[in-house]
Amino acid sequence: MTPAKIEKLERLVEAGAQARTAESGSLWRQSFRRLRRSPMAIAGGAIVGVFVLVAVLGPWIAPYDPTAQRWGDEVFLNRNVFPGPRAENWFGLDHLGRDMFSRMIVGARQTLLVGVVATLIGFAAGAAVGGTAAAAGTFGGRWGQRIEAVIMRAVDVALSIPMLLLALSVAALLGPSLTTVMIAVGVAQIPIFARLLRGSMLAQAHSDYVLAAISLGVPKGRIVISHIFPNSLGPVIVQATLVLATAIIEAAALSYLGLGNPDPGNPEWGTMLADAQRFLSGAPQLAIYPAVGIIVTALGFTLLGEAMRESLDPRLRRQG
Amino acid sequence: MRTSRTTLARRAIGAAAGAILSFGLLTACGSDGGSDEDAESAEDFDFTCPEREDAERAPDEEANENTPFVFGTPGDPSSLDPVFASDGETFRITRQVYDTLLDHDCTEMVPGLAESWEQNDEGTEWTFHLREGVTFHDGTPLDGAAVCANFDRWNNFTGGYQSPNYTYYYSKFFDGYAENDPEMGIEAETNYAGCEADGLTATIRIHEYTANFPGAFSMATTAIVSPGSLEQITDDEVETADDPLPEYTQTADVLAGTGPYQLAEWDHSGQAVTLERFDDYWGETAEVKTLIFRTISDENARRQALEAGDIHGYDLVAPADVQPLAEGGFQVPTRGVFNILYMTYTQGHAPLDDHTVREALSHAVDRQRIVDSVLPPGGTVATQFMPPSLEGWSEDVVTYEHDPDLAQEMLADAGHEDLTLEFCYPTDVTRPYMPAPKDIFDIIASDLEAVGVTVEATPITWVEYIPTTRSGDCPLYLLGWTGDFNEAYNFLGTWFATETTEWGFDNQAIFDGLAEAAAEPDPSVRAEHWAGLNELIMEELPGLPISHSPPSIAFAPDVYPMDVSPLTQEDFSQMYFAAE
Repeated sequence: MTPAKIEKLERLVEAGAQARTAESGSLWRQSFRRLRRSPMAIAGGAIVGVFVLVAVLGPWIAPYDPTAQRWGDEVFLNRNVFPGPRAENWFGLDHLGRDMFSRMIVGARQTLLVGVVATLIGFAAGAAVGGTAAAAGTFGGRWGQRIEAVIMRAVDVALSIPMLLLALSVAALLGPSLTTVMIAVGVAQIPIFARLLRGSMLAQAHSDYVLAAISLGVPKGRIVISHIFPNSLGPVIVQATLVLATAIIEAAALSYLGLGNPDPGNPEWGTMLADAQRFLSGAPQLAIYPAVGIIVTALGFTLLGEAMRESLDPRLRRQG
Repeated sequence: MRTSRTTLARRAIGAAAGAILSFGLLTACGSDGGSDEDAESAEDFDFTCPEREDAERAPDEEANENTPFVFGTPGDPSSLDPVFASDGETFRITRQVYDTLLDHDCTEMVPGLAESWEQNDEGTEWTFHLREGVTFHDGTPLDGAAVCANFDRWNNFTGGYQSPNYTYYYSKFFDGYAENDPEMGIEAETNYAGCEADGLTATIRIHEYTANFPGAFSMATTAIVSPGSLEQITDDEVETADDPLPEYTQTADVLAGTGPYQLAEWDHSGQAVTLERFDDYWGETAEVKTLIFRTISDENARRQALEAGDIHGYDLVAPADVQPLAEGGFQVPTRGVFNILYMTYTQGHAPLDDHTVREALSHAVDRQRIVDSVLPPGGTVATQFMPPSLEGWSEDVVTYEHDPDLAQEMLADAGHEDLTLEFCYPTDVTRPYMPAPKDIFDIIASDLEAVGVTVEATPITWVEYIPTTRSGDCPLYLLGWTGDFNEAYNFLGTWFATETTEWGFDNQAIFDGLAEAAAEPDPSVRAEHWAGLNELIMEELPGLPISHSPPSIAFAPDVYPMDVSPLTQEDFSQMYFAAE
């Protein structure tokens, strides 16, 4: 699993580096052209678009207050009586008589928030680690290379720990809350971003423009920050889209395990799934809605990310 | 003995009788589909001890000899020496191994090791005539001296053993010890005045009668252990209240009792306690040879284990599982009702010391909805802190109907429109009186928010829950109690005998009234006291009594189950694999 993961990252780096040197037109314009014609990208984009829209507008489009136990007297969880979909409640009622549809809509916001923030944490910290390693390795001389080796071996070790396990350990340390989930999932993504950015930057370091900059006497620090780093971001951004999908699933998993937000006032898909588990035999629909929500959203981000990755890959270019 | 069964439990609506201990550790829940509900209106339905409907079945000799009966329990026992336990998980096991002087049939007090017993008029001298021919598992015979050896041993406990962490029940029944250790915080003189043995007779004397007697003699904690096996151990090992229990309480090869089963093995890593049949048992010998209690803490996992055939029965069935299990051919007998679930208003936290605020909060909560939708069918809304089947339950207590508008008005009058309250609930357990703590919490929290109270949810794991709530750290919290024996004092005395941090109120009329009632040896006079006290307590409103509900237990189709007990004191020797 880990070698495959690493290999995938290496290929993405390679794609990013090669794309720049090949043929005509800018990388981004070409890629975008190819993306527009990819059904995968269109499907992914549509799902992500709808999801983001719902998440942003959630509180305004939800028909009812997602926390109000408005139909509490119609639900009998001691006898497995859960009113299903009907005109006023499209998805039926949850175990406390709250509107499932409203909870799904408002829950999307939490889910997106956790996914984005976690990915940003992973991205920022990963970029810092990976960037430092690459800069040290390229310009730091013999000592720099040693530092790079130490950092990257540590990253490899972290990469070999299953992500969920890493996130669980962090979450257990910090105690249950929404912030915990964001941090836990974010921390688990750090090694991916670190490795990817470092690879990408090393590839750029051997480019002609870097050689040119060096010969012109541009300070090394500036070369790294103003030239190599921005030009290495392409594959990292693509990876971020893919990571977002994983982050959403992991955040849901952590909430499901009870490490998420304990406040019942905030619906969240993972927590909803955990709540529904107890009634699985009597009312499977309670679990199906959040489960499908998580799957579809993660699928959307994955499709979009994969499509972007492929459009960057010159080996696939001719087919496009 | 003097328990008046006639009035017991005939009391009507809803609830009734009881189960073992309490805060503790029995978790459970459950009930049976429609039948109780239909009966709810029937004034004379016996909610304590419903009649068994199934006919006795022939035992399957081969299976009983060769197949271990595995019973799924929600938690591990704490000690194989029952005097150091206060939880139902422990007592479920020790009850099969040790016998008590008195026993229960339903909630009625019946002979145990003592064939008959009598007391003097003051209730200070209890004479027990023991059965003949009872032998301990180690081969020694039971006599009066053995009984006295146990009581003397408990009275002579020193150091950490005196802490309620170890001997919660003993110190509750007998107040103190021969020499109280000042570090354990026990001030009361011991109520134990001595024990005289004469052949098969044992006479236990106490200084002052309290309503805990004779119930205390039926408690699993006062079970008689073989003095011979006690000689193998020394009781002075525990210095402080926080030390772990001594080693011998954690292994199965030290103690011997007189029960139908003897201890065989406690596999700590496998979380299983194995008992073997005792063939020289004085009563009817058990059919099943090997009995294993295996801990499966998750209620879904317990159900699945039963469905998969890995276990043959389990306790604390979730209410929603009762019907599907019954439809699947499993047997799910429902116990009688003998418990209470309540929400405390800890008065150490302002403004809960304001009576108007407590009253307003009580009007805000829709208890009927909790009973109807979360608790097992057959439950009822509680009007006071004990179930209606007990002597002393009062019809004239102040009740607090669900009326959100009134609640809001009262909060406004008291000047607390924007009240914020921390509300604790346990996360990882279900209890016999509280099948789904989080759902109950969610419902109450939403009711409170509806009248303008901001609720701060504080989920706490069960291990920390009891200490946290006892120390008064939670302004609002959910807890309950299952009765140990048929006596109002076992409920009211548990909470309201003195000022405690757990409740935080100081109402001398209640404390004095309880002391007076507890000292009254005549049960009918005592019942009048209890009724008056219930009225007084509900005026004070230290908390909101929520419900009484019947917990269920489940068995595989090929098992003939034992009679279930409202006190959760099931006798596993009655149960066996039945021939089809």
